[in-house]
Amino acid sequence: MLNEVSFRRRRGVYYSFRGGAYLGMGLSLLALIGLVVYILAKGLPYLSWDLLFGEYTAKSVSLVPSFVGTLYLILISLGIAAPIGIFAAVFLSEYAVSTSKVVGVIRVAIETLSGIPSIVYGLFGYLLFVFYLGCGYSLLGGGITLALMVLPTIIRGVEESLHSVPKALREASFALGAGKSSTTFKIVLPCAAPGILTSLILSIGRVLSESAVLLVTIGMVVNKTPATPLSPGTSLALDIYYFSSYGYREEAAATAVVLLLLVLFLDGMALLVTKLLSKGKGYGK
Amino acid sequence: MANKIISVSHLNLFYGKQQALKDINIDIYDKEVLALIGPSGCGKSTFLRSLNRMNDLIDDCRIEGSILFDGKEVLDKKTDVNILRKRIGMVFQRPNPFPNSIYDNIAFAPRLFGIKKKDQLNAIVEKSLRRASIYEEVKDRLKTPALALSGGQQQRLCIARALSAEPEVLLMDEPTSALDPISTAKIEELIAELKKEIPIIIVTHNMQQATRVADKTAFFLMGEMVEAGSTESLFATPKDKRTLNYITGRFG
Repeated sequence: MLNEVSFRRRRGVYYSFRGGAYLGMGLSLLALIGLVVYILAKGLPYLSWDLLFGEYTAKSVSLVPSFVGTLYLILISLGIAAPIGIFAAVFLSEYAVSTSKVVGVIRVAIETLSGIPSIVYGLFGYLLFVFYLGCGYSLLGGGITLALMVLPTIIRGVEESLHSVPKALREASFALGAGKSSTTFKIVLPCAAPGILTSLILSIGRVLSESAVLLVTIGMVVNKTPATPLSPGTSLALDIYYFSSYGYREEAAATAVVLLLLVLFLDGMALLVTKLLSKGKGYGK
Repeated sequence: MANKIISVSHLNLFYGKQQALKDINIDIYDKEVLALIGPSGCGKSTFLRSLNRMNDLIDDCRIEGSILFDGKEVLDKKTDVNILRKRIGMVFQRPNPFPNSIYDNIAFAPRLFGIKKKDQLNAIVEKSLRRASIYEEVKDRLKTPALALSGGQQQRLCIARALSAEPEVLLMDEPTSALDPISTAKIEELIAELKKEIPIIIVTHNMQQATRVADKTAFFLMGEMVEAGSTESLFATPKDKRTLNYITGRFG
């Protein structure tokens, strides 16, 4: 069957697959660039000093309360989720017997947790903190709820970076007489550090962009800078929602620019951190 | 007659239901090199790894029989595997230095066992690197990443790292299979040097290597130890037909 016709047909198939791949790639890139350009075009002209750092008045709104609120939320949620997530991942990857049924159930539970819509987390947080515990709307409640939400992502991310540490290193450590904990904490965790940091930074991105959870837990108080983590407050994403629903269209667009730039900055940081920390650690590639 | 260091009797090992080692009996003497040869999957690495209980790391591995090391039972549940592995060092098939500095690689084991003083650590690092005859090559860059070294240097570094724990026996699992001929030659010289101090058990795919470095050789096939004896007689006058077939290259 190796005649010219079959070659022509194969070439046709080859080029159409290649064309399809380029087309798909081009379309997704176009969508992304279009979105970024649109947001920048709509928002940049309205980005002003007053909006960013001014005092909040009904005439001239400001992002200061949401900067403070967002910072609190990041600190609270990552402060809780990072240590728990890292230790949980260490357990799953280093200590758990992979064939055990309990571990299987834990894994299914983590998968399920990461698939729950964020508004459901929000309602849970609302019922627990605002309703049952009677704390009212607070950044603390929202932060803890966010911690629950990012926990599965952190566990999976950290576990993946732990798995990418070569088995040969663990063996080397064991063969020198190191126990499980020395091996895990002196060898495996330092080797996995770049990957772990990256997944933490990426979960900061998720906290930044989350709105549904916060809508029902932190009260969306846009005009007052929160005094303590127990005060109600707002976040950047919530501000966008608030501004656009209460007639501050231009400010909403400008806030979107701020949020977008922050997320881009974080992603860049994640890349940079991975690169810097991996220096001299490239293993056997 | 040299001292008996390790004495293995009636060793059976199973991975799940599959038997990987069948009734292994062998004694290992001080200041001798024992080579384990045999085709892939014959159990020679498994046997090596049961001596320092590295097989414990495999979930469904079951082991029966007895391994006496220094008069004590290795397979006993009460044996402290960390101390056992410190006393029986191991070098692996592929060089696996830790991704930190040359110095930290060697200082890992001494630090683990509580040595904190700088000058003491420095002395151990220098001595271990010297024993692995790599000191002269790296003495000016002890703080540079170990992974920047060449493959052969990395493997000698791993030998130095194993020596830093002052082991009484050294296990080597195909230590030169990932290296070029010159690095291989260096490691073989090193083995000849080290056996003046401690016994070495080396798994090798390379029969010439066995004849070059080993005083005794054991031939493994499908989980059985077919034949063991002095390297010379095993290669010159094998007693078993299967050994003859293997060393003359009829299979494997």
